[in-house]
Amino acid sequence: MVAEQALVVRKRLVEVDHAWKADVYADTGGYEAARNVVTSMSPEATLELVKASGLRGRGGAGFPTGMKWSFVPKDVFPKYLVVNHDEGEPGTFKDRELLESDPHQLLEGMIIAAFAVGASKAFIYCRGEFALGSRRIDQAIRSAYDNGYLGEGVFGSSFDFDIVLHRGAGAYICGEESALLDSLEGHRGQPRLKPPFPAVKGLYGQPTVVNNTETLSTLPHILNHGVDWFRQWGTEKSPGVKIFSVSGHVNAPGNYEVPLGTNLGDILELAGGMLNGNDLKAVIPGGISAPLLTTTDMAMDFEELQGAGTMLGSGGIVFMDHTTCMVRNALVAAQFYEHESCGKCTPCREGTWWQVKVLERIEHGEGRKEDLDLLLDMCERMDGRCFCPLGDTAAWAVRSNIKSFRSDFEDHVAAGHCTYETDHRTLVGARAGATGLGDAGVTSQPSAGIGSDHDGHAR
Amino acid sequence: MSEKELVTLTINGREVKAEPGRILIDVAEELEVYVPRFCYHPGMRSVAVCRMCLVQIEGQRKLQPACATPVTDGMVVNTTEASAVDAQEGMLEFLLINHPLDCPICDRAGECPLQDQTYKHGPGSSRYIEPKRTYEKALAISDLVVLDRERCVLCWRCVRFSDEVAGDAFIQLVDRGPGTQILTFNDEPFDSYFSGNTIQICPVGALTSKPYRFVSRPWDLTSAPSVCAYCSVGCPITNEARGDSLVRCQALPNENVNDFWICDKGRFGYHYADSDERLTSPLVRNEADEFVDTSWGDALGSIAAKLKDASTVGVVAGGHLTTEDAWAISKLAKEVLGTRDLDSRVQDEGAPYERALGLSSAAGSNATINDLERAGTIVWVGPDPKETLPVLYLKLRKAVVDLKAKLVVVSPRRLSLDVFATHVIRTEAGKAAEAIARLTSDDTPSDVTGPLVVCWGPSSPGRADASSIDALVDLATKLGGKLLVCPPHAGSQGLIDMGVLPSLDAGYEIPATPGRDTRAILEAAADGKLDALLLFGADVIADFPDADLATRALEGGAYVVVVELFPTETAARADVLLPSVAYAEREGTFTNLERRIQKLEPLTESPGVAREPWRVCASLARAMGEDWRWHSFGDVWDDIRANVRTHAHIDLDLLAARAPTPAPHYESGFEPDPSHSTGVVAGPGGPYPKGHRSGTPYQTGQNWPLSWELRGFEARQRPGIVPEPPASNGARPPRADDSEAGAEEGEGFALLTGRMIYDAGTMVSKSSALRHLARTPFIELNEQDAKALELSEGDEAVVRANGREARLEVRLGDVARGAVFVPYDQPGLRTNTLTGSGRVTVVRGDDDRA
Repeated sequence: MVAEQALVVRKRLVEVDHAWKADVYADTGGYEAARNVVTSMSPEATLELVKASGLRGRGGAGFPTGMKWSFVPKDVFPKYLVVNHDEGEPGTFKDRELLESDPHQLLEGMIIAAFAVGASKAFIYCRGEFALGSRRIDQAIRSAYDNGYLGEGVFGSSFDFDIVLHRGAGAYICGEESALLDSLEGHRGQPRLKPPFPAVKGLYGQPTVVNNTETLSTLPHILNHGVDWFRQWGTEKSPGVKIFSVSGHVNAPGNYEVPLGTNLGDILELAGGMLNGNDLKAVIPGGISAPLLTTTDMAMDFEELQGAGTMLGSGGIVFMDHTTCMVRNALVAAQFYEHESCGKCTPCREGTWWQVKVLERIEHGEGRKEDLDLLLDMCERMDGRCFCPLGDTAAWAVRSNIKSFRSDFEDHVAAGHCTYETDHRTLVGARAGATGLGDAGVTSQPSAGIGSDHDGHAR
Repeated sequence: MSEKELVTLTINGREVKAEPGRILIDVAEELEVYVPRFCYHPGMRSVAVCRMCLVQIEGQRKLQPACATPVTDGMVVNTTEASAVDAQEGMLEFLLINHPLDCPICDRAGECPLQDQTYKHGPGSSRYIEPKRTYEKALAISDLVVLDRERCVLCWRCVRFSDEVAGDAFIQLVDRGPGTQILTFNDEPFDSYFSGNTIQICPVGALTSKPYRFVSRPWDLTSAPSVCAYCSVGCPITNEARGDSLVRCQALPNENVNDFWICDKGRFGYHYADSDERLTSPLVRNEADEFVDTSWGDALGSIAAKLKDASTVGVVAGGHLTTEDAWAISKLAKEVLGTRDLDSRVQDEGAPYERALGLSSAAGSNATINDLERAGTIVWVGPDPKETLPVLYLKLRKAVVDLKAKLVVVSPRRLSLDVFATHVIRTEAGKAAEAIARLTSDDTPSDVTGPLVVCWGPSSPGRADASSIDALVDLATKLGGKLLVCPPHAGSQGLIDMGVLPSLDAGYEIPATPGRDTRAILEAAADGKLDALLLFGADVIADFPDADLATRALEGGAYVVVVELFPTETAARADVLLPSVAYAEREGTFTNLERRIQKLEPLTESPGVAREPWRVCASLARAMGEDWRWHSFGDVWDDIRANVRTHAHIDLDLLAARAPTPAPHYESGFEPDPSHSTGVVAGPGGPYPKGHRSGTPYQTGQNWPLSWELRGFEARQRPGIVPEPPASNGARPPRADDSEAGAEEGEGFALLTGRMIYDAGTMVSKSSALRHLARTPFIELNEQDAKALELSEGDEAVVRANGREARLEVRLGDVARGAVFVPYDQPGLRTNTLTGSGRVTVVRGDDDRA
């Protein structure tokens, strides 16, 4: 049987032309869920429903959304909702597509979330490189105001809700929620000490819910169709559907929305199989922070991947074939982390610097045998000791490359040069992220489901 | 907190009780378990960035930073467990890969937390073979601070200090990732009054002191605890000398006074003590009226002979004398010379300190500095504390910004406090009392919440202040508040306590007939009606708000005896000139603005045959036939205890008391490497005050890193004593005559003056590190007033008073209409030549109308 997508969040943008336009969105059932919530439901009931759905954050950590909301103190005002649209994980481009192609869906999700937690002001922290997306969401916010979906008295109710679009400057660390808040406040984008968590003390010291674009975009569907409908997909602990961004050595890279728990092999099949029919070598299952898999026999949900020593993360899957040199792969990942380390804590700042230095030496044929154990030791001394997960995952990425493909490294050291005949246009997602060329790197790949609409000039 | 509310936790197998919410690293330290750290500093918020203090806590998946983990009940902590030890070693390895390891040429080596902790916790060698990160070395980021970014471990202490504590975020993190560096923003100089603290708290040699650069190795220093001799905050400091020259001064923490900080004037101003211009022997006039060296015996003999014949004698003391000097002067004047004409108010002439009586039985504060931290509302009436009492400014800022007290500032001109004040009340010059009285009107008390502390410092001149202090006492009485009286100098309160005032005797007793104050004494001398004038550290020509009167007084024929450090302008007009000793050369006590008595220990030798002023007084008394039998500091205090009711119970041992140098059990999981401990320099040389040697633990044999934190630990043992004043009988001096209050009316502008932190005063101008920091003199006036005079920012104005004139640069500022501000005693301007009448006229520089 050929694998099929379970289109929910991506349904409109796949099936309807110009889904990003306000009238198109409204004509296809848009804003009904938000209208219903705001005019006929209580915040408590909304929160309970989201809790019952088991929706987990789609940004990377997979924290249950309803539970996150319930940590927000009831009697402290003002509260804020912040959208984490700083999608920076190499190999991930799902939020970007949602913002570019269905921005009103995000706005509707935001209205629901803000109503449930009692926030009357929201900020969309949009990654700086997302030029088209930020234009589209800006336009969407304007038309939502014009139509009375935002501003004073949303849908004629007593609920006031304002949205501010803020464009970041392209720092990966600003995808970490507390660094995002610092950046939003105008400080250096660096993670904050936790506790207190943002739900208690977030933006400007006020209770703040930080949710990912995909998470919020899922809400209207849960509200429209109910908990049981949502739970028809996925597992008990990881219910629902999830968008995976597939890139690397595959025939049809792009975003694919499938039930959580779908086999990785089925996702590869959806993406047209391996490029040129080559053999699979390694898979990054959830953005380059996630340790490598060497098989496609894996159920893609939070628990299974954690059990396999890796993680679902942001859902950015990168397939690599047998022509890929893992020294190069590790170096590219390490360079990315070194470039994106905020410099706040010692192990991340110095560890990523050292990793790159040693990997560069190996790549250039000056590696020593003891360098591999040195790198692994470094990873041990970074992992779990950094201020925020950036440094920890920098350790995971390098460690996983060495542990799974030690012979690549040993051959490199022994031969004094790379033994692969590869041009380095591999690893599209990862390299694009590493060089900061997010737009150019990823849009050059056809994105499944988005056709001519996606010309980058539409306005 | 009762036993019940404490939590019980276990650290390295030992149970300890602690208040919930306290930080683990502090609780461990009290148990003598030292958790290594770089970024943690008890005076600032935790940031947990260096990751050096990671410890293992049972039930936690990851190691936790002890500096950011509050203790909880049942917590089981292990700092020596293998993963924690590996983390410590690993973190040091990371920190050292890009560290230049230039310890042989680094000022910090020998007292460097990075060095010490590397010895204790670090790897023996490095596995790093790649090129290191390099930056331009020895970057002077101000006149006092040098930055070396290669040595920096990015602990953020300097950044946090500037931002959180000083409130002037000059020094910043720039760039990110491995390229993160410390720099001043936009390459502006690190122009802070508190910049030196960042040098002291830097855990490496990244920030070093320009004046101390390459001057000494820490193990070649001797040190002694002391008290800063500048302002009346009385920050405890440690003086450090190489050989017999004073080469460094650092803050000692005292949470009652200065937390951990001192200002740059206190830190870098010590150089005056080593100045070549110091007086070294007594000087008398020869037949040609020139000064010639003489012996103490001859000098005192000739003074005694003159004084025996004198029927009217005036005594004026400056603000930098110790409490013992003050008692000796008071005793000499009243008991030996038989005069009540003595005063210790020079620049603050006429300041009505005795009017604090009644609120309590002290002519001074009944609040402590730390009452500011507990205050709900603070009222400030006085000079700009950032310029005159810098560390009190930090306390005020902490109280308002961090602890959310309300601050009401009543002032005729903008003060640095205005930035964070809750209410700013701009009054006309001399009209503060009315504004204060309005605070007690029926509609305001609701805004005055929590414990109230009213602060008062004398404006300059101080004689116009009686009504404002009365109004503050009324406010405090009505609302149950406390009063913090802020006299200007380190010795000012001690002089008040010892009765060096015309209207107050020692122990705050009110004499039946008051004597003459400084102005009256000088007027008498000028009129030729004074036989002898004794000046103890009082440079009246430079400091008294009427230079003309002071000059005439010294030329009025009185026999003038001056006890001084330097040949000042006043000293040059003396008949006999006696050399005095500087604060680092003497044992003594200063009484600060909250009346806290703190002890100075001697470190260096005074030049020549200089003597403490109390010894001069005692010798003079003996020469005049009264032997006080004072031979030591202790003898003076026996006399003070016997005669001054407020000081009867001061225990000198308690003042100097300190625990022995702590050498706690050092639980690091590492055994000391025996190879390090061979050939060490002998351990701490005897009891601390003198002969204390610093150095790495291995050099001193101490099992503890000897970075500044340790010095702080020692200093905590010297909190000083605030004597309890006798119960108040409610007696108050008569109310101020209203006609005295307020600015004198007349032509031109009311002249406001005030000291700036760096000025042309004797101590700053003799300090090689600070003398060039004083600014060019200026006149500050209101925009509308300036407009009327056709003056704008940067213009030259001619300021005239008393037949004198000064050409000053115009600055527009928030000053009350009809008033101008001219800073006191800036280079090239003796402001007290203009202050005689309290009013000045101002015209454009090119205006020829007289």
